[in-house]
Amino acid sequence: MSVTVNESQDKTEVTINVRGRFDFSCHQDFMRAYKAYPKGDKRFVVDLKDTEYMDSSAMGMLLQIREYSAQNGVLLQNGNDSVKEILRIANFDKLFTIT
Amino acid sequence: MNSVLSSIVTLNNDQKGLALIVDDELSNRVILKSLLKKNGYDVIQAENGAEALRLCIDTRPDIVFMDIRMPVMDGYEAVKRIREIDLPYFLPIIFLTAMTDEDALSKCIDVGGDDFLTKPFSHAILRSKIISMERIKALHHRTNSLSGQLMKDQEMAESVFSGAVLANNVAEDKIDRLLKPAELFSGDVFLTAYAPSQDMNVLLGDFTGHGLAAAIGALPTSEVFRAMTNKGFNPAQILAGINRKLFTLLPTGMFFATQFVSISRDLDYVTISNCGMPDILILDGMTGMIKERVSSNSLPLGITEDIDFQETLVRINIQPGDRFLLISDGVSEARNSLNEYFGQKRVEEAITRKGEMTAFDSIVHSLKSFCQDAPQDDDISLAEIPCTTDILPDWDSRTTDPKPNKNETSEEDPIEFTLKLTGKRLRDADPVPLVINQIQEIEGLSRHRRHLFTILTELYVNALDHGVLRLSSELKNSPEGFTKYFSARQQRLAVLSDGFVSISITSYSSKDQGKIRISVRDSGDGFDVSAYRNKVDVGCNRLFSGRGIKLVEELCESVIYQQSGNCVEAVYFWSKDVDAA
Repeated sequence: MSVTVNESQDKTEVTINVRGRFDFSCHQDFMRAYKAYPKGDKRFVVDLKDTEYMDSSAMGMLLQIREYSAQNGVLLQNGNDSVKEILRIANFDKLFTIT
Repeated sequence: MNSVLSSIVTLNNDQKGLALIVDDELSNRVILKSLLKKNGYDVIQAENGAEALRLCIDTRPDIVFMDIRMPVMDGYEAVKRIREIDLPYFLPIIFLTAMTDEDALSKCIDVGGDDFLTKPFSHAILRSKIISMERIKALHHRTNSLSGQLMKDQEMAESVFSGAVLANNVAEDKIDRLLKPAELFSGDVFLTAYAPSQDMNVLLGDFTGHGLAAAIGALPTSEVFRAMTNKGFNPAQILAGINRKLFTLLPTGMFFATQFVSISRDLDYVTISNCGMPDILILDGMTGMIKERVSSNSLPLGITEDIDFQETLVRINIQPGDRFLLISDGVSEARNSLNEYFGQKRVEEAITRKGEMTAFDSIVHSLKSFCQDAPQDDDISLAEIPCTTDILPDWDSRTTDPKPNKNETSEEDPIEFTLKLTGKRLRDADPVPLVINQIQEIEGLSRHRRHLFTILTELYVNALDHGVLRLSSELKNSPEGFTKYFSARQQRLAVLSDGFVSISITSYSSKDQGKIRISVRDSGDGFDVSAYRNKVDVGCNRLFSGRGIKLVEELCESVIYQQSGNCVEAVYFWSKDVDAA
């Protein structure tokens, strides 16, 4: 598990990449990644291309970042089939943009 | 081998306990003994490892000083074996050795020693080592008593908790259920309760995470589920109630995925909602194979208040004998020692290949042989519910107890109230629980709740369906018609903008008996009451297609339709001596 952060050139968007198992063990790193920016300041992208697996505590973290992003919204991208399946079951498309 | 030289001497008041010196050389023992006594220890001695082992078992020393090279059994072996004894306290063992090579010294720690002292050593060094060991010992003691206390608290909390959450479940012995928490507390919750209509509500839910933090939401959830089911609220209202409670209660990031099934008392249909859980599987009662599945179509509960549960509910016709499987994601996400997941495919294979076993047993069996002893990451829940009459309540709705003496029921000082729903309000409001709660507030008739519920529900539904919505109950006469009926009902409700149903209650009571007059009027066209009467009299009750109104007639003293047919008045007698439960 590792969490890396990239800020876009125009400083409006922050991409967080989670590698490996996205579960409770990421909690501290994940939170630190988005709390480095002021609340409601950035649009967040969670890139899941290197995420092997995601559990319900990861979905909890997604809800937390969603709250933190305020009206800017959160984009979830590049999830593998099992990650997408989990997001589908939870109907997270109603809360996030998923691509 | 009676060579144990044990001397127990109390030297000063500053008693530290009992020290065991293990050394084959008398001179070494004598020197160390005098140093230890100066430090407040009583001392016992052994000449080799075997004696030391025996003394550790017999006398339970507080600290051990161990030589390495000794006859019979050396220090390494002795320490290994002492560590196997499983003493109920922390016993520090310090090796004393003349050896200085690194391998010999690190082996001291590897076999279970806590520290080593290289001979010769000074009094000051010995003292320092003793102080250090005492610190560790105190820490050990504190940790032990804290974790013991924690364990005790958790066990007690768990028993109160499962008492509150699980103990009130119904039909426990008719349902196969596995609830295997990953920790002492389970974040998975399984609840069952009977509605006054005699429908049965079942809920399997999964809180984010596991352990105590996940379990905390189970208590309010079970309370809302039971209270609202008992009061006769419909599935959408119950889910909305739980959702609202959890939304205000749970921190962001915590939620509750839920499978909810309401089984009708006639075992002809079920109402299902799946909010963020794996598929609910319906098994054919005859073949045992999967005949339908209900996938999640909603967010889990506790995330947002903005869920229309009416939309998430699915109504499915069933046959008596069909079975339901409720499964938490802990099942398909269980891992074996090779880190492979059990997976949905294995779940369904276990159902297909169950043979003589029940689907439940087959899945449990398959899961067990897959996981073996691999550690469990998440709570595992599985329940198989048979749709058979024995899971339903065996309440006798046709009580034959002595009837109250109607002549003595006074008609003085009645309490009257009316509830009128109009237009759009009729779409999703359910006035029955409101009216019943009101009657109970006034008269305290908790034992008669179920009867009143049945009467009011039947009369209200008739008024709404046949009166306001102008649906013909003849539609319901075939299985396809049944489905058509309900979709027509949904459509007409959705566009309803006028019409009304009004429920008036007049309650008379004396000391321990009374009567309730229930009058239900609707804005519909009514119907030909005399024709209806004739049909009933010749046993051809087509207009009401059976069950409903007959039940009302059996429960009530009288049921009278006004000639126009859009107003009905039912009179129910009650007595405190008659137990309608």
